[in-house]
Amino acid sequence: MSGWTLRLRQPPALRLDLRGFTPVALGALTAAELERTPVGHGNRLQPLAEFFTVAARSDDSLVFEGDLTRCDRVGWQMDGGRLVVDGAAGDYTGACMTAGEITVWGDAGALAACEMAGGALTIEGSVGEFAASTLPGSIDGMRGGTLVVRGHAGARLGDRMRRGTVVVFGDVGEFAASRLVAGTIAIGGQPGVHGGFGMRRGSVVFAGSAPEPSPTFVPAISSVPVFWQLLSRDLARHGGPFGSLPARRIDRHLGDLAADGKGEWIVAR
Amino acid sequence: MNRNGVVIRNGVAVDDTFAEAFPMKATRLVITAHTIEWARHAAAAASGFATSVIGCGCEAGIECELPPERTPDGRPGIALLLFAMSGKELAKQIERRVGQCVLTCPTTAVFSGIAEGEAVALGKNLRFFGDGWQTSKVIGGVRYWRVPVMDGEFVAEETTAVVKGVGGGNLLLLARDTDSALAVATAAVAAMKRLPNVVMPFPGGVVRSGSKVGSKYASLGASTNDAFCPGLYGLVDSELTAETRCVLEIVIDGLGEADVSAAMRVGLQAGIDFGAARGLLRVSAGNYGGKLGPFHFHLHKLLPGDEE
Repeated sequence: MSGWTLRLRQPPALRLDLRGFTPVALGALTAAELERTPVGHGNRLQPLAEFFTVAARSDDSLVFEGDLTRCDRVGWQMDGGRLVVDGAAGDYTGACMTAGEITVWGDAGALAACEMAGGALTIEGSVGEFAASTLPGSIDGMRGGTLVVRGHAGARLGDRMRRGTVVVFGDVGEFAASRLVAGTIAIGGQPGVHGGFGMRRGSVVFAGSAPEPSPTFVPAISSVPVFWQLLSRDLARHGGPFGSLPARRIDRHLGDLAADGKGEWIVAR
Repeated sequence: MNRNGVVIRNGVAVDDTFAEAFPMKATRLVITAHTIEWARHAAAAASGFATSVIGCGCEAGIECELPPERTPDGRPGIALLLFAMSGKELAKQIERRVGQCVLTCPTTAVFSGIAEGEAVALGKNLRFFGDGWQTSKVIGGVRYWRVPVMDGEFVAEETTAVVKGVGGGNLLLLARDTDSALAVATAAVAAMKRLPNVVMPFPGGVVRSGSKVGSKYASLGASTNDAFCPGLYGLVDSELTAETRCVLEIVIDGLGEADVSAAMRVGLQAGIDFGAARGLLRVSAGNYGGKLGPFHFHLHKLLPGDEE
């Protein structure tokens, strides 16, 4: 198995669909085979070489270079290995991935990590709407793995998310953790309005600004020192606004009472 | 070494014999609490009535106390080792003991103390005590259960790992009288307790009712070890001399053969250091002729200067 560096020749005229281009799948190909591999461009399939230059690497990584803002489904259903985007990525980045590691050094579009089931996706920039949520029409969103966003996240972060951990260093848009089934979302910046709308279970940690109290959440009167130490220590390894969490006191609110009511907001003081 | 193969050290005769031990299933639990006192209460209860698999279902003991920096939740804790003859029986004992002795104890939480091994339920079934209000959380790839209780919530790791262990390492301490037997046994247990991965499951680490296989009564699989009973000296084919008035045994269970061997070595050394002048006359070990247990710990190989 060998790694590849795929450098975008120029921004494509239409959106590219990069599904199937994963480290494991490409590791078995020769350079010629890889260049002939069809890639979706608009509603047509065209050889990869029309869009990317191909160069072998000494390691097993798959590296995309260039501005891939118009390239969707980077790391789609990825099941192992290491993928790096040395720039921005389009929509559905890391969607449905089950294992492996993806790093995007720029921003990512909408629906990043949606229905992600395992592995680690790190976005050094910001992500668009519906990160860690569902594919349109699906019931369950992200169901495992870790999404780390060092910038900001758009609206509906973690919509219908069921399992896994999402860490956003910056601000998040409205309706973060809406309809959350379970899992953990940690927010380091300013939360948008209507956070936790209809959440059933799960935890939303506010390490930055405190959210506006929702009328469908109730204050928790009991302390949860064991759980907080377990969770905060795990989040602290991400550093930034989360590094001091184990030493901070917390307030909790339980809800959303309009749903199951077993979720919680954790506000670090 | 004399003609009978007995080695004399500091006046103490060390028999040319071996302890015979058996494979067991084992796990380690870490119990934490708001203070070490409450962790001790839970650990003592959970490892109570766990001296012998013959009548207790498992053998268990406190391995060590853990400072806050060595526990998953940063609170003081206690490491507990549990041993049973099968993984199924061990799983049953874990559930009962944690359910009745740890879940019930104020402020406690329970975690697996072993990373690798066959997973058995720890909080997985106890969670139903939450009557639907229990929630789970996967943190760092580990699932925990949070069960609401009257002092807040009980947190338990979903599973613990079961590994192969070794049970039944032993030392027989043959002493001049009760005082000297208790003193040397206490010293030996104290030395052995400083080692990791072992527990001495009997009260104070010491057992007085050493047994032999079989009985005159058909319903009993084991009965008193008459050859080592001072009260039967002169009546049976005794292992004792007229000077030996009290015999105590230390039974050792460990996570590995090397762990049991190390514990027996320091126990034996403690006995030799105690010496004949203070009343320890002889050290022996219990076995079944070497036909039942695959682990044989020869006392002479454990003597100082004879390290394996």
